[in-house]
Amino acid sequence: MADKPVYEEASIDGQPPKLASIPASDTTVWADASPLLQAACAGLRDGELIHGDNFNLFAAMSALEIMDPKMDSGIVCTYYSIDEAIENGAAPIPISLDSTIDVRCTIDIMDHLLACEAAWHKGHSLAQTVFSCIYLLRLDRTAPHALLHSYCRIIRATCKAVVSVVSDARTHEEEDLFTMTYGLPLNGDGDDKCLSILNAVEETISRQLRACKATSSKRRLPEDLEPLQSNSNLEEGFCKALLCRLRFRKHFFHVLSCMKRPQGRGLESARKHIASCLTELESILESADFLRSCFDESCEGDIDDKTTASGFEPIGFDAMLNSRLSAPTPPRAIKILSWKKAVEYFVKLLHDLDVICSYSLDPHLESLLRFVVQFQKSQPDLVARSHLQLLLVQDGKLYGRDPFFAVINKAAALPEATKNHDIQKNESFLQLGMLVMNLLKILCTNAAWQRRKLGKFLQDWRVIYVQLELAFRNEYGEVSSSSNDENTCMKIFQHILLWVEEQTYWIAFRFLILGFELELYSTGEYCMVYWYLYAVLIKLTEKTHLMMAVSHDTAKRKGKKKKDSSKDLARESRIPPAVLFLQCYICLAEGLTMMLAALRNEIPVFHSPSPFNTEHEKFVQHFELLQRACIPDHVSYPSYKESTTHARFSTLAMYNYFKDAQRIAKEVKSSFSNDPERLAELRKLEQVAEHNSVAQNVICRLGALDPSLKVSFEFSHHPFFATVVVKRS
Amino acid sequence: MEQEVGESLIQLGNSDGSNSSSSDPVTRVRKLLFRRMLVGIKDGRFFLGTFHCLDKQGNIILQDTIEYRSTRRSSPSPMEQRCLGLVLIPSSCQNSCHVDCSVEEQLSLLKAKMI
Repeated sequence: MADKPVYEEASIDGQPPKLASIPASDTTVWADASPLLQAACAGLRDGELIHGDNFNLFAAMSALEIMDPKMDSGIVCTYYSIDEAIENGAAPIPISLDSTIDVRCTIDIMDHLLACEAAWHKGHSLAQTVFSCIYLLRLDRTAPHALLHSYCRIIRATCKAVVSVVSDARTHEEEDLFTMTYGLPLNGDGDDKCLSILNAVEETISRQLRACKATSSKRRLPEDLEPLQSNSNLEEGFCKALLCRLRFRKHFFHVLSCMKRPQGRGLESARKHIASCLTELESILESADFLRSCFDESCEGDIDDKTTASGFEPIGFDAMLNSRLSAPTPPRAIKILSWKKAVEYFVKLLHDLDVICSYSLDPHLESLLRFVVQFQKSQPDLVARSHLQLLLVQDGKLYGRDPFFAVINKAAALPEATKNHDIQKNESFLQLGMLVMNLLKILCTNAAWQRRKLGKFLQDWRVIYVQLELAFRNEYGEVSSSSNDENTCMKIFQHILLWVEEQTYWIAFRFLILGFELELYSTGEYCMVYWYLYAVLIKLTEKTHLMMAVSHDTAKRKGKKKKDSSKDLARESRIPPAVLFLQCYICLAEGLTMMLAALRNEIPVFHSPSPFNTEHEKFVQHFELLQRACIPDHVSYPSYKESTTHARFSTLAMYNYFKDAQRIAKEVKSSFSNDPERLAELRKLEQVAEHNSVAQNVICRLGALDPSLKVSFEFSHHPFFATVVVKRS
Repeated sequence: MEQEVGESLIQLGNSDGSNSSSSDPVTRVRKLLFRRMLVGIKDGRFFLGTFHCLDKQGNIILQDTIEYRSTRRSSPSPMEQRCLGLVLIPSSCQNSCHVDCSVEEQLSLLKAKMI
């Protein structure tokens, strides 16, 4: 039977026009399958599916459901596309034919962009924040509007700079929406000239400001200059409002550029720009009153929630236009920060950056670690932390300047001469350098990420210790050689081995106390946590003390011919202040362990076991990473039980660890008179010790007798040593 | 003409009694699995992907889906596309459903129709 060439009839012409624009292929056509599918559906049983062998119901649940607003980011809203929005006047240029309104609207856009930028820094996507601005999405069309154009350019360049810093630091996995640009137009031609464009606009407005002041004082206008806008009463206010905003952007861009310079060369200049930024932010805040009052119409709603200083809604923003760009997964609904909160955010960011810029680039690792820990106490945001990390670790060197072996050499109290020793080419020493580098990077991340990474890190430090020890034994065995170089090598090994141990215990200590900051321990677990902390602190103190003794030796060997050798001897026999400091910690940890153990053993309500897991299981959960790395050795659940099982109020009364802690804290204060950070810490420790000492006395006297006694734990005086509060209910 | 091709897909088995048990709609739709399918939905978008699953209510799951949409409300206008991956299209929002058919297949389908 001759067939008509049916494919012609099923050709594209016969198909609906829309379908025609999605051609199947050269040899195929689209055939309507709806009737067949309908028939199949009728033939299926309830719950039956038609699927292939690779089908997995669990995996299928991850499918995006079309037309569900929480899952479908392509649902058509007001406009089909950015171009359609522009064609319908969503982002007019100029914004208004009335120059006064045009200027006010421009300021509103600037303010809203600042709020968007802050929201972006805080962890939302670029597409929903800064790039919800239609003007930014099609920057070239703003060219006729100098003010808007220059501002958009510098915003774009600034965002690009921030993305670059955060990407380089690679700490952004923690806030996963941050650097995804998904094809947003971040790279612009000629953005390197954005500063000069901005300067030109700033210059014009400065002249306009001078001109309007000249007019008001009845002086003659020096030049024939068009005013900023048409209402002469508002000219000064608007000029000032604009100038501080433009200047803030200029100085902020300079801050980022200066801080980017290698080896911290731009830090001092950055500080100057930071100071200027803060001044301009002050002016920006002050301009709010003027902007709110310059029009008769008042805005509705709470002014504090608004994203602009004037309180009016900005023109030209639509977050939905970009929803298809923000991610394959649809965007969460987000709230842009209020303008006030945005300014506050930038003030804090600038202060955090200033702390970084003021840092002296101390080559001593120990001071650096303390600086980073102290910096983190102010809870800096991602942008600030990325900058810190990039300052510390550049080109595989500390501050881009000091090779890590030299840093370790110094930290391990080895003589200056050994820092160039060939031994650093040894594989283990290279790895050790990497570990120190990674430690610095980890310490710059947020608390949760940091703790997770530090926990895993312990294993690496343990392994490197074992490797170094093995290498040491293989090379030198037990015999002391007469060769000078071999002696040096031996010394390097010995010092570094000791230093690695000290560092490992420091990491373990940090891992444990971050648990308090993150509120990972329940009250019933404090006893075992303080006990473990005590065990780690004992080891840390031991290694620190040894390290100091060894460094003292090195100093002596530098050939100081002291006449007063008796004084030296006396100094040697005293315990170094840093060690005393740690002993204060030990006393507090021990005191709390014993008190908590006694409470648990004597008062039934304290010993309520959880229905979910046993104490042993909790011990393993919390300390698994430490146990696996054998930090410290010979510490286990049975040894914990053994230490705490016999604690009673009567035994508690026999020794007051808190009084010891108080005494040590008082004694050691004088040694740290130049160190405000450690003085503050000692004061806190004293307070905890004092309160807990009193609490212990009360508990010991009344604990067993008074069933109405309520004991609770607060971190009111110190972030990780609890203050015991005793009340009668 | 499209309608006829569609009907021919249904009637494939009916004219040939010998293998009617393997030619019921469900079996034939099973044969369409992993084929490229183009689903149009009510807001004007199209989704092109490989046919992965169908349920009794008519909800369709497509794999390696590309979404097509026009850039203007009024046609004609250029189309934008983006990749979505695994997608579920509820039957309530479906407007049309087409399957990629080779010309030979159409020919053989229509041979079987024998009308």
